[in-house]
Amino acid sequence: MATAAPPTDPAPPETPAGRPAADPILETENLVKSYGQGEARFDALRGLTLQIGRGESVAIVGKSGSGKSTLMHLLALLDRPSHGVVAMDGRPVSELKAKAVAQLRNETFGFVFQQFFLNPAQTVLENVVLPLKIAGVPRSERRRRGMEVLERLELAEKADNRATDLSGGQKQRVCIARALVNNPTVLFADEPTGNLDTATSAVVEDILFGLNRDEGITLVVVTHDEDLAARCGRRVELQDGQIVSDAPVAAPAAGAAPGGHMATADGTASRAAVVGKEEDR
Amino acid sequence: MKTADLFGTALTNTLRSKLRTILTVIAIVIGAFALTLTSGLGAGVNRYVDTMVEGFGAPDELYVSKQADMVTGMPTNSAPAEYDAEEAGAGEMFGMPLLTQKDVDTIEGIEHISEVETTRLVEPDYVQTADGKKWQVAFMGSSFETETASTAAGRMPAEDADEVTVPLAWVETLGGRDPEDVLGETVTLVASDPLGEEGSVEAEVVGVTETLASGSGAGPVPSVKVEEALHEIQTEGLPEEQRDTWFNATVTVQDMEANEAAVKQALADEGYTAQTLEDQLGMIRGVIDAVTWVFNGFGLIALLAASFGIINTLLMSVQERTREIGLMKSLGMTSGRVFGLFSMEAVVIGLMGSLIGVGGGLAVGLVGNRLLVDGPLKDVTGLQLFAVEPLSVLGIVALIVGIAFVAGALPAVRAARKDPITSLRYE
Repeated sequence: MATAAPPTDPAPPETPAGRPAADPILETENLVKSYGQGEARFDALRGLTLQIGRGESVAIVGKSGSGKSTLMHLLALLDRPSHGVVAMDGRPVSELKAKAVAQLRNETFGFVFQQFFLNPAQTVLENVVLPLKIAGVPRSERRRRGMEVLERLELAEKADNRATDLSGGQKQRVCIARALVNNPTVLFADEPTGNLDTATSAVVEDILFGLNRDEGITLVVVTHDEDLAARCGRRVELQDGQIVSDAPVAAPAAGAAPGGHMATADGTASRAAVVGKEEDR
Repeated sequence: MKTADLFGTALTNTLRSKLRTILTVIAIVIGAFALTLTSGLGAGVNRYVDTMVEGFGAPDELYVSKQADMVTGMPTNSAPAEYDAEEAGAGEMFGMPLLTQKDVDTIEGIEHISEVETTRLVEPDYVQTADGKKWQVAFMGSSFETETASTAAGRMPAEDADEVTVPLAWVETLGGRDPEDVLGETVTLVASDPLGEEGSVEAEVVGVTETLASGSGAGPVPSVKVEEALHEIQTEGLPEEQRDTWFNATVTVQDMEANEAAVKQALADEGYTAQTLEDQLGMIRGVIDAVTWVFNGFGLIALLAASFGIINTLLMSVQERTREIGLMKSLGMTSGRVFGLFSMEAVVIGLMGSLIGVGGGLAVGLVGNRLLVDGPLKDVTGLQLFAVEPLSVLGIVALIVGIAFVAGALPAVRAARKDPITSLRYE
């Protein structure tokens, strides 16, 4: 694996204050997350500032332990920062009450995980409408909206099957359907293709980027996979809890060769592209 | 999540690991079954006692009898009581001293007592039927029963006629097939005085009585006139004051509620015991209730054991479904609702166990009651061993659901406290 990046020093702590986005939907300011106390204290994020614009597709990449998962959890309001602020639509949300945060997640976010987390005892449709059930949507409307989204993902005929009877690709499509059923504004995908073969990955990626392109859903992808990252409009690389590069991917197109596109949009020497395939899990 | 959805989800979840749920439910079923059966038995027996004693009187009546001084014939360490010729001569019946006219006068003199009714008991030696055969009288009725007994045929005796009724069981003895056949027959009641001199009273059979649960109607019921005549024969030759004796007296108290204590005290001061119907029932009820509660205690212990079963089952369930909890929380389910979901599962388990157990208990109780009452215990009139009291049945279900909820609280709190991220990573 070639390392095409220029041998710049790792970015200093006070590096990029994030690219200013025209219409930021999610912002963080000086985000710090540490675990443990005293000697055992570990800083997963060290003062991270980032803006994600509405309708963007952002890949968050980095080695294991770089803090990319922690960042996603904080952005998705699954966790609270030790210091700093997460804001949504310009409104600080990280300090809201647990109940309000839960409601916000339910109404505005969709989640696609590497593991599918499908309930084997339930049908595909029941799995898909879980967010609506949590939101308290009546049964008939749940079914209507669930079928609608399954149809969009060409899974309508599987609606009454057990979730366990599906292939890996189908399962991930069910997960995407579940993430979409509440019409989210932001879709978080944590290694969405990690458990899929190449062909199936391509299908799932097409669906995700199609949603971003056609429906303007903001896409935040956490991944090891440079191929996947390269299809995003923007690539944010983390290392040791800090952003070391943040740049648009020049030609976010299907099948773009990883590492081929250097982006220096804001003038800073971005170490975009290939860091090589990281160690596999 | 809406509460109805919460319940539905909880129900499906409990049915997911069927064997485990069934085993937990069985423990609750045992407790519920025991509680239902014992409280039903308690209610049934109490109800039987009620019907047995009901018809013995009105709530404004006191039953007065003379206090037996000491258990006679038993060795005691007490000093001898002063001899009272009248009292000693009055005699006793069933070990209870009889009341004399003087007693009745004393009782009548007590304040708030408006009426004194006396009861005589006569004991004929035998009854002779028209064909000359003699029959033992195991149990003789009393004329006061004319008010309470129920007839299978004919009517109750008129006060001042030579009339009598016979119990249903006597019909064949008197040569009849149906109760109506014996009406109009003449029987001779024979009694003897203290010296063994026999005397007889002829009476016409005017009615046939059914035996009530209270025992009323189980023996021949004489008219007042026949009873008086038999009493005369039985006491023939005794001094006058000893002939006027009664078994007990029923006094009517004005405004029982207000005067009960005062009248009882006054009677006790004069050496009589007085009990209301409620007093007589209360003692029996107390014993039955005590026994019922002992058995209920066993049922409650079974439930206590079952509640640990619930805790165990749900803790396993929470552990197994850690990732599911993580998913639900990340999709916006609040901790409160997660708690609700798991405690609802406990409630569902409790509800299943209690419904099955209570249903089983009721079925066994009712069927068993029928089998026993129609079978081996057929001769005990009006016997009821098991009764359904809707309130206590509901109470049992509510109690068990409550216990299940409390038992489910610990696992549910654990589930509610789970952190979504750690839970999603749980392997």
